[in-house]
Amino acid sequence: MHPVIEIDRLSVRYGGFWAVRELSLTVAQGELYALLGTNGAGKTSTLESLEGHRPATGGSVRVFGRDPRQRRAVRRRTGIMLQNGGFSPELSALESIELFGSLSGRKDDAARILDVVGLGDRARTAVAQLSGGEQRRLDFATAVWGRPELIILDEPTTGLDVNARDDLWSVVDALRSEGTTFLLTTHYLEEAQQHADRIGLTHGGRLRSEGTVHEITRTLPARISFTLAIGATAPSGAERLPDGGFVIRTAQLQSELHALLEWAADNRVKLQGLEAGSPRLDDVLRSIAKEEDSQPGVSR
Amino acid sequence: MTFTIATSELKQIIRNRSVLISATLIPLGTSALLIFARDAFRDFPAGIGFAVGSMMVSISVLGLYVTAVTTLAARRQTLFLKRLRSTAAGDASILAGLVAPPVVISAIQLAIVLGVLAAVSDGPADPLLLIVSGLLLLALMLALALATAGVTRSPEHAQVTTLPLTLGPIGLAMWIGLTSADSAPILKALLPSGATTQLSINAWNGNAALGENLLLMLPTLGWIAAALIIAKITFHWEPRR
Repeated sequence: MHPVIEIDRLSVRYGGFWAVRELSLTVAQGELYALLGTNGAGKTSTLESLEGHRPATGGSVRVFGRDPRQRRAVRRRTGIMLQNGGFSPELSALESIELFGSLSGRKDDAARILDVVGLGDRARTAVAQLSGGEQRRLDFATAVWGRPELIILDEPTTGLDVNARDDLWSVVDALRSEGTTFLLTTHYLEEAQQHADRIGLTHGGRLRSEGTVHEITRTLPARISFTLAIGATAPSGAERLPDGGFVIRTAQLQSELHALLEWAADNRVKLQGLEAGSPRLDDVLRSIAKEEDSQPGVSR
Repeated sequence: MTFTIATSELKQIIRNRSVLISATLIPLGTSALLIFARDAFRDFPAGIGFAVGSMMVSISVLGLYVTAVTTLAARRQTLFLKRLRSTAAGDASILAGLVAPPVVISAIQLAIVLGVLAAVSDGPADPLLLIVSGLLLLALMLALALATAGVTRSPEHAQVTTLPLTLGPIGLAMWIGLTSADSAPILKALLPSGATTQLSINAWNGNAALGENLLLMLPTLGWIAAALIIAKITFHWEPRR
């Protein structure tokens, strides 16, 4: 059986600028794959190639084993939530969902979908009168219309309040339990950490790291951070940060934390703002960005 | 899918007052004045054909050309085109759906004003040729609209980009109607919409041979082909990065 998404050495170039270079990834049926990266990392260009909006400069993209530009065949099985815009201000929420729903080639009930995304009472409201968050929910409604087999979400929770974000993720979880495949980009890394089966980290148009959250974060040491009173002597192994705090990076979090607490007790030092934990995705992303930016001659 | 898009597009046009006024009230108002003053044109070289050519060009330019360019630019700017292309609809269906309402609106207006003029005056001498000239004019304006939309960034920019092909054909229709058919006939026929204007005048007055009328169709077909080639090269579905 084909993976739902197969990207093989995809490159996308705008003039002399390489937005994506030699990026390869696959997404299996039922998986939630999060493509993460800094601004300009090539996420949106990758998604646009997957959606058939952007021709590849090199490499290949297959969705359900087909070229995504074969719209009639691929789009009936794919729901797409764009990053922004695309609704007519002159149409109501109901008219918009009916229009794009019927053009998707899938069947569903507009009132049901609007209820699902919490816009049931705004059905007759013109899109121009909807808030930014409500328009994002309408966008999400077009993506989940008719329960497609694959849903592509481009920064789905940007502009949503906490409750709306929770509601969106509960819909995603429900669809996943039915076997829907998801490809997601987001700047909320904690959401990806919480919901994604696998994650791809991109920077400078290239895929830099890929795997489960555990596989990706274990490449970096855990960190213990704290601040000390002015004039206090720091323990050995602590690295001073620009903000005046200290950090200890370690692969042995438990024993290193134990040693630090013993040192503090012995020296009667108060560790202010003490935090300890495994590295997070944003630590890995920062590390990747820092590594590349420190390499001279790296260009796109 | 084309019908679904066209229905939605029609709703959007009806709800946008400025587009609705420029697409219907202005050309219909102009046509009403020309019909009302029809007797004043009897001594013109083209006779009442002057009013026929002017009405047909006004309606096809304002009702179709300007409306289509403006709405295509607006739909592109708001990413509506991109969202349509995120569905299962093909590009041809999307374009057909978007331009269908201004085409139909213009065709209905042409039928109404020419019907009214026919009812209150003599003519047309050749109704079939009048229909052919109307269809050719609509096809020409549609092709020119697609080409112009390719170089138009926004609805505001459309006010500039549509100006040459708004004022040009209207002025040309007046020039053709006010001067003798023997005056610079080749130049008149070669300018965009000049040949169809002459064709509509011939259809109303019935004073031209079949061969002459067939010959007048060639420049229009050439302009349609050229405009479609330009549109294929310049038309884009998303705002340029």
